[in-house]
Amino acid sequence: MEFKEVIGRRRSIRFFDPDRPVEHEKIQKMLEAARLASCAVNAQWARAVVSFRDDLTADQLTRLKTPVAGLNVDLAPVHIHWFNDLGTVQRNEGRPLKQLVDVGALAPTHGWSHKFVDEFVYPQILKPLTESPAYAVASTFDVGIAVCQALLTGVDEGLGVGLVTLNGATLKEVFKVPADWIPLSTILVGYPSESWDGGGQRPRPPFEDLYFEGEYGKPFLRDSAVIDELTRAKMFQEPAKPHDPKRIEEIKKLAEKYGLPM
Amino acid sequence: MSEQETPTPEAPVELRALQEYASVRTWLDGLRQHWGGDPVTDDPERLPIMEAFCVHANRDPDQIIKETTMIKDGERRIRLKGRERYSKLIDEWQAQVEGSRIRKAKWGNTVRSFLIHNGVLLASGMQT
Repeated sequence: MEFKEVIGRRRSIRFFDPDRPVEHEKIQKMLEAARLASCAVNAQWARAVVSFRDDLTADQLTRLKTPVAGLNVDLAPVHIHWFNDLGTVQRNEGRPLKQLVDVGALAPTHGWSHKFVDEFVYPQILKPLTESPAYAVASTFDVGIAVCQALLTGVDEGLGVGLVTLNGATLKEVFKVPADWIPLSTILVGYPSESWDGGGQRPRPPFEDLYFEGEYGKPFLRDSAVIDELTRAKMFQEPAKPHDPKRIEEIKKLAEKYGLPM
Repeated sequence: MSEQETPTPEAPVELRALQEYASVRTWLDGLRQHWGGDPVTDDPERLPIMEAFCVHANRDPDQIIKETTMIKDGERRIRLKGRERYSKLIDEWQAQVEGSRIRKAKWGNTVRSFLIHNGVLLASGMQT
């Protein structure tokens, strides 16, 4: 699938086929994509624990379910739980940056050297950053990029994916992760039992309300020719419509199939 | 021997016609708005099932919503203990319903639907 179509096809899937297993190699591809994500100072904060639902004990599965995401957790055969390993910067003391210097990604042309990392960047910027209240937020932003790449790779592999937030304390306990890891989102993975388009592309705020050019308040100029091009590339697809009879009928059938309240 | 008070048994709930309760009207409006059609005639079992649960719980529909929600700082919130109690009660009641798993699920889900359309999130998972 072409990149733009992958973006266009992604939906938060909430009805997974609970009985259709997901291939191990497809999950690996999602993780491989996450590992290649852009990340500040090459720190690599993202960590994941993959959990195959049927390998969990009944008690573990029950504990993971929250009122909002319980059904999704039940239906999805694979759960990828994402964490932020906050300790990685202090453990590595700037080594990932020096690797970037060695491979020419960071060069003297831009002021980079091992000495600069050892004497300035790590002790005067990175280490103090790890002690600042902003650290968790800044590093979590980068974990989000990794998660997004995993998510889109799942779509490219023909899987259904959806992000949920489970109880962090429970995740840490069930999966025995180190104490300083921050629990973040979980990607639920499976083959959709709803139609892949999930009733259409979901509503978004107007482009002009979100993006600006030059300064806040001046909307970025939106060229309709670009929209046409992206539509041809299937990044823009049929939008979801309120009270769409086709979608309502689909949900009714799924509710009946899985015995869900309406 | 110490004297123990015997709890006074609750008087059985006296139900009016179900559609007279505000919470039932909210439920039916929600069903109508979300799914279309007429929720009463489309599924003639819906209200009798709800009534049977009310008798089982010994509460009228508005009381059930009152016990699962509260007003705090001017905002309506879900009362977690109340929700948990009703969640268990529905599961137990559903298990006692005679008939197939589908029928049991339908009875339980009818009451869950009543709570959901009254803003009380109640995820029960798959019932099949």
